[in-house]
Amino acid sequence: MSAAGQRTLQVVGSLVVAAAIVAVVIAVVMGQLGTTSVAELDAVDERREQRIEREEERLEQREEAREERRGG
Amino acid sequence: MEDLVADVTRGNVTEVKVVLASVVAALAVYQVVLMAVGYGKLRPPFLGAGEASFAHRALGDAIVAVTVVVAVMCLTYFELGDGTVHAVAGALLLAVVALKIVVLRWWRAMDRFLPLLGISVLVLFALTWASSAGDFLVGGAE
Repeated sequence: MSAAGQRTLQVVGSLVVAAAIVAVVIAVVMGQLGTTSVAELDAVDERREQRIEREEERLEQREEAREERRGG
Repeated sequence: MEDLVADVTRGNVTEVKVVLASVVAALAVYQVVLMAVGYGKLRPPFLGAGEASFAHRALGDAIVAVTVVVAVMCLTYFELGDGTVHAVAGALLLAVVALKIVVLRWWRAMDRFLPLLGISVLVLFALTWASSAGDFLVGGAE
């Protein structure tokens, strides 16, 4: 390969390394941040609300059963 | 401007800022390595000094552009009083970067200060990142 070709290759190689650094940093930081997808965040919220509702229902049923036992 | 920033990032201003700031901070470290090769402090067999310096300049232009975008996001979307260390480090970083560009393009008599300016830029990048993005990544979004 000619000297000019080698020089170009070295510069391109340096920039490819920079691009790889950018890709790795984005992957690591995005992994740390977690999802930012609105659909996924909504789904997480919905699952949390459903869990809370189920727990509240269970508590109410337990309270009712306790009151029935007291009344009976 | 605040609305534009929020629209472009689809409401994830902090997250986008954290990603961009982390990218430029990592590239700032790589820039120091490239310049160490450029100044002949490191002599890897696969990279010449001239080529490393050229890559350093090309990458530096991109880093400055992204840094300005992050700074604009910071100034338009967040309150100045949110982090004094971050605000001071960020302002100093922009000032030192501007001085470095002036020395490189028009004030060649001050060439001998370029390594010092370069190290200052790296330190200020690290401080600015640590006082905002690093803090956010370690401490979470609360």
